[in-house]
Order: sequence, then C-alpha cells, then structure tokens
Amino acid sequence: MTIEPETTAALDLEELRTMIADVIDVDVAEVTDDATFADDLEVDSLLALELAVQFENHYGVKVAEDEIAQFTDLRATHRLLAGKMAGV
Amino acid sequence: MRNPLPGSWALVLGASSGIGAATARALAVEGVNIIGVHLDRTDAGPAVEALRSELTAHGAEAHFFNINAARAPSRAQVVARVADLTGGAGVRVLLHSLAFGSLLPYLPRAGFAEALTSKQMAMTLDVMANSLVYWVQDLVRAALLPPGAKVFAMTSAGVAQTLPSYGAVSAAKAALEAHVRQLACELAPLGVAVNALRAGTTLTPALQQIPEHETFLAQAASVNPHGRLTEPSDVGEAVVVLSCAPSSWITGNTIGVDGAELISAGTSWGSEQR
Repeated sequence: MTIEPETTAALDLEELRTMIADVIDVDVAEVTDDATFADDLEVDSLLALELAVQFENHYGVKVAEDEIAQFTDLRATHRLLAGKMAGV
Repeated sequence: MRNPLPGSWALVLGASSGIGAATARALAVEGVNIIGVHLDRTDAGPAVEALRSELTAHGAEAHFFNINAARAPSRAQVVARVADLTGGAGVRVLLHSLAFGSLLPYLPRAGFAEALTSKQMAMTLDVMANSLVYWVQDLVRAALLPPGAKVFAMTSAGVAQTLPSYGAVSAAKAALEAHVRQLACELAPLGVAVNALRAGTTLTPALQQIPEHETFLAQAASVNPHGRLTEPSDVGEAVVVLSCAPSSWITGNTIGVDGAELISAGTSWGSEQR
C-alpha cells in the first residue's frame, strides 16, 4: 500500500502463484507453471506494471521498465526473481 | 463568500507526476492535506518521497498509496484509509488524473506494426474514464464526499481531435466527459460539483509517451496565444480557484484551462507572431 517496501520475503513458488492470481484476478489454478501471462491469462500492460510493483515491494528487488516484458509466465517469473534475490 | 480550503483533504488519483503532482502542490500550499494514489516502480520512489516531503513542508499531511487505482480491492483499501485519515469528514477535492492507456492505432500503419486489441481498448477506457465513476461510487457509499466537495477529471482537446496513436485515449476522454455530466446531475442533490478540466497541451510524462508528441508540442506552442504551453501548475491554480466556490452551481462542464489554445485560429496568435 505504501511506497516503503515491505520486509523482504522468501521466494516461495506457491506464494508467488497466489500473489499473481490475486493481482490479475484469476483463480489460482489458472496460473499454471507455463500459462503465458499475455495470451493465456490476458495480462495487459497495466497488470504487468502492477505485478512488477508488487514484486518490488514484496521481494525487495528492482524491476527495470524493459524487464517487465520478461515476466512471461510463472516459471520465467520465478527464475528472474530468484536471480534478482540472489544478486545475480 | 468562500469555501475555505485549509485543513480540508484532497484525494489525487495519479499523484506522482505531471498534473496530479502539480495540483497536489498547489492544494498543499493552500493548507489542503493530500492523499495521493499512484502506480510506480521503485525507480520513482525517491521522486515520490521528495514530493511527499515538499507537500508536508507546507504544513499539510501527505499520504501516498502505490496501487493500481483501477482495481476494486485496491480502491476499497484506499477509501477505508480516507475514512481514517479524514476522521470521517471525507474529501473536499477529488482529482482524477490517471494517464495510463494504450497508444496504438486501430489499424496497423507505417511505424506501428501492432494494432489495438479489445483488451487494450477496455483497459484504456476502464483506467482513464470508468474508474472515475467507481471512485465516486465508493466515496459516496462511504459518505466521504460531503456537500461542497468538488470533483475534477482531466480531459484534453484530444476528445474531439485525432492523433495517429490517440484513438483509444480520445474515446476514453469522450467517455470521461460523459461520466462528468452524468455525475454532475446525480451529485447535484448532495451539493457536490463535478467538472472536466480540459488542459492545454502540457509537457507531462504522459504526453511524452505519445509517439508523435514532438511535432504536436511544437504546433501547440505556436498556436497558444499566450506564447507558451500549458504548465501543470496552471491546472493546479484552476483546481484551487474552483475548489473555493461555496456552492455546486459550477458543475457539469468541460472547463478549458489552456490559455485559449483551443480557440485560437492557426498560428496567427502564437509565439511565431511575436
């Protein structure tokens, strides 16, 4: 809610799945490991930005504007966030 | 006879930059406390914090919420916070200045391989127009839009003019102005005024997203009889002035805040002639 990042949380795949489902307003079961955000889950540019903001606040990472398009599905998102959290 | 502003509250949607930020500044100078809603990545954090500090330096309270203003659960959370922060008094000013939409043509053309999709059209209308209605509905349900409150929504000359990439946004502005008229009539019994502000061409982050903005800016500067573009602070001034009106008689309008840019013919009045 606020601009201060929340306490950094561990990257749990199921928690990530739930967070994404919550933001894009679909049933958790629809966020399969490889359902594509853009085509299968109808994530538009606004929801993609909102997801990026949620990832930043929840996991204490930074997402550059041109990285938003790399969050293509749950698997890719988990990999990218894990890399960021490991400081890669 | 004035409707005094000091100590009142403003809810600014799209508060982190451009016209929303400038209006927050202008209101804070008048002693209005600010509740700002914005959606920004961490990159914008320092700028938002600087704005918040600037507002509080005027003695006003300033609270910012980094959320998607078009999403119902987020809206509900902020409305609940508005109730807490204002002690149930509600907001004197609601400014809708959300600029997030799709800037694609309806048909592919040179330089634009992609055409607008139905999803993008729906998102643009939802954010830039329909969300005004939903915010007003939630605020009225919570009794947070008291008599004397003023609602403003940012429209543009693009409501009646076209640009290659402005189709969906133009449609959203047309819908927004229709929403303003409808809300003005429905809120009249509550003594709440609703107006659309048609800013002139203003150099904001949103304008800079429009692919053809450079040619458009140059033309606007040459047309405006004041010999300059509209500044975000010009809109802030208009909001302050209109918010002081005691009654809700100025309502249901689209009010030009453009230095007469729209009505000046050709470049005959503009900076090129000076």
